[in-house]
Amino acid sequence: MPPPANARRAPGPPDGGWGWVGGFGAFISIGFAYAFPKGVAIFFKEIQDFFGTSYSEVAWVSSIMLATTYGAGPISSILVNRYGSRPVVMFGGLLCGIGMVSAAFCTSIMQLYICVGFITGLGLALNLQPSVIMIGKYFLKRRPIANGLAMAGSPVMLCTLAPLNQFLLDSFGWRGSFLILGAILMNCCVAGALFRPIGPGTASVKTLVPEEGKDALKQEVTEGAMEMSSPMNRPMRNKTEEDEERDCCEKINQYLDFSLFKHRGFLIYLIGNVLMFLGFFAPIIFLAPYAKHIGIDEYSAAFLLSILAIVDIVARPTTGIIANSKWVRPRIQYFFSFSIAFNGTCHLLCPLASSYAGLIVYSIFFGLAFGMVCAMLFETLMDLVGAVRFTSAVGLVTIAECCTILLGPPIGGTLIDTFGDYKYMFIKCGVVMVLAGTFLFIMNYYNYRMLAKEEKERKAKEEDPKSVRTETEGRNNWTKETTQDGPELELLRAEQEGLKKEANGTSEV
Amino acid sequence: MWEQKGRDPAMTTDDASSQSQANSLTNMKNGLNESFPEPMTTTQIFSWRTQGSPSDHVTLGHEVSVPGPDLATKESKQTSSQSVTSVQYKLLLPGASGTSVETTVSLDRVVEVELTCILDKKYSHLKSFQVIWKRGNDTISHTNKTDNSWSINVTVSDSSKLGSYSCTLKGEQQLSGIFHLQVPKIGRKEKPTITYLGDTAVMNCECPGYTAISWTWYMTNGSKQITINESLLADKYVISKKSANITQLKILKLTKEDDGEYWCEAAFELGKSKGKLELKVLSFMVPLKPFVAIVIEVIVLVALIVAYEVYSKKKEKCAEAEKEFDQIEHLKSEDSGLESSRARQRRI
Repeated sequence: MPPPANARRAPGPPDGGWGWVGGFGAFISIGFAYAFPKGVAIFFKEIQDFFGTSYSEVAWVSSIMLATTYGAGPISSILVNRYGSRPVVMFGGLLCGIGMVSAAFCTSIMQLYICVGFITGLGLALNLQPSVIMIGKYFLKRRPIANGLAMAGSPVMLCTLAPLNQFLLDSFGWRGSFLILGAILMNCCVAGALFRPIGPGTASVKTLVPEEGKDALKQEVTEGAMEMSSPMNRPMRNKTEEDEERDCCEKINQYLDFSLFKHRGFLIYLIGNVLMFLGFFAPIIFLAPYAKHIGIDEYSAAFLLSILAIVDIVARPTTGIIANSKWVRPRIQYFFSFSIAFNGTCHLLCPLASSYAGLIVYSIFFGLAFGMVCAMLFETLMDLVGAVRFTSAVGLVTIAECCTILLGPPIGGTLIDTFGDYKYMFIKCGVVMVLAGTFLFIMNYYNYRMLAKEEKERKAKEEDPKSVRTETEGRNNWTKETTQDGPELELLRAEQEGLKKEANGTSEV
Repeated sequence: MWEQKGRDPAMTTDDASSQSQANSLTNMKNGLNESFPEPMTTTQIFSWRTQGSPSDHVTLGHEVSVPGPDLATKESKQTSSQSVTSVQYKLLLPGASGTSVETTVSLDRVVEVELTCILDKKYSHLKSFQVIWKRGNDTISHTNKTDNSWSINVTVSDSSKLGSYSCTLKGEQQLSGIFHLQVPKIGRKEKPTITYLGDTAVMNCECPGYTAISWTWYMTNGSKQITINESLLADKYVISKKSANITQLKILKLTKEDDGEYWCEAAFELGKSKGKLELKVLSFMVPLKPFVAIVIEVIVLVALIVAYEVYSKKKEKCAEAEKEFDQIEHLKSEDSGLESSRARQRRI
């Protein structure tokens, strides 16, 4: 008689089925969040003429929007921790729509800053983070592919939005366009509706299943705790927590997990990425002006950006597939560091390209490198902290990145203005990114070794037959270990162990 | 790489020849932001790309020989004594088409112009030829600057001096070059400005690099052209001079009648030049229809998705209820068997 092993092992993330539909929703949400601030730049000329402001004053709209999208990350994380992804995304879509519709009736540039910059930016932030979180919830084994596909939404949306915005501007003027764009942004609500929450549905099945052993139960419940991001399980843990003094910290950590700052992998990721973003966006912004500067006409310069976008679209899912392969997945952090360093090398070599053909080659490689980095941006964070803590991690990371993202282009611009030459900007970006890539590579090597050591220690403890742990003790140990371990590998290995136990069981029976 | 060094605001050359391509130079002071061309009118054209390589460029104040037959170079010198500037324009013969080359010279103020036709060294084998400078049917006496260049001096003091000046080399082959002297053209906006009822319309006209003495705005009403004065309707039209070469017309409280063509006319020392703008006034219903359509689509999709989810959950619950029932039965019977197998596992 085969024991009902399948039933007692809790189903992990779906890794398929409705997951792909949810992934499509994430594709749309992420696409809007990243592409919209860039796409809205098409209206700047009209707005500048209308309000009689300088170009830089109008460009602030985009900067404020981008800053809010990244800076409101923690708010997004808190809301997702509290309410789940779906309501947050739908509310975000609604907020975007309201922001743009009210922008259509603005009478001053300050009102535009508020409507387009803050309100729409906040709405996009409420779209971006939950979408990325949903990928982590729906996928585990195929997560890199899902991440790559979802992040491909950004260049696809940009390619769609740019000509669409131009068409809207020609047909309806900027006011009408903002009105219609508000409606288009509300499609994020549709994307949000696709984010079916998983977890509570499967819990009912688990409770009926009897226990096979203490280990099995521990695995089950903790897996359940990992899937369900709602704080319902945490009060249980609170009660078992004997240290009462940490209750208030626990409460804050419920909403935004500040204990992540003790997580080695998280800190490595944070420092590396914050450094990287200093040189990440500036080359894209200055590529067209640089091309015009060395004598290429406007349309060919714009074509360079199109090449970049097309290569980007292809690169992201491809990187996802590569990152998912069994050779790369365990060492995905190295792959990420390599792609950052590759990106930096492209920038360092760019000043050597002085002809149009050279710039085309640069655009292709830049598009490739850009796509690689973006596709793995959130995948690596998920890999380091695990799906549960990812909710808070992504919020904390985005608000830290916000500063360097905003600083990057102006520093590049200052370099260009001071030296009168674009090559220093490229050299600066290249150096920063190569440094970031090297830093991540070295630190992740160290991290992988520490993880392997901790894994060995944990296995040694587990094998000890005298340690009969209670439910709570086991859970405490598990959660303590998850602060340092890469829980993803744990889950994957736990599945393998479960399979082994099944095999033992069947051989016995 | 080159840099703008001191712009001479008076002149620039337009090359009307189809083969050269104009590049706009981005002011590197604005390097921080993505550079956009100036509103509506042509950006300052300072360089010509020759056969794909941006190697040779023209800078103001320097004479640079540019390869390629259909390009004009210019040179300007400030004469210290008078306020009248002297400018030189040169054409390299022959043109790309083989026989003639043209260029347009825009002048906004009184100048002394020296027009020179230079014969390309490749054609120096042509021996006996006659060089004639003409304007219309009148022949103008010219001076031989060098062995293969001939020039004339024209003092352009009023609009009567503007026109087409041509130099013709008659010999085995006939080569000619034509200088079109004219007032600067005001760039026209190709696309109409779209505004809404009750809103404000802002229209700009500019002639970059030239100084206009005055600007006038006209509105076309049917076939008539009406001058727009501020006195016409005081709180409706606001004309402001934003800078030496930019003028702005603001129309407040738009109505349907404001829809149509508008003209801005710049008066230069040497004549007048007009630019056309189109204004479209729409009612807010126009964008509202697509807006409502998209919002309805969003609501419908969300409703469909939620409905599908509720439906599939119901199906699941029915199926689950049956499965659970079966499972409970199954498990109850297995309970005793499980105890023994668990004990065996523990021993291992």
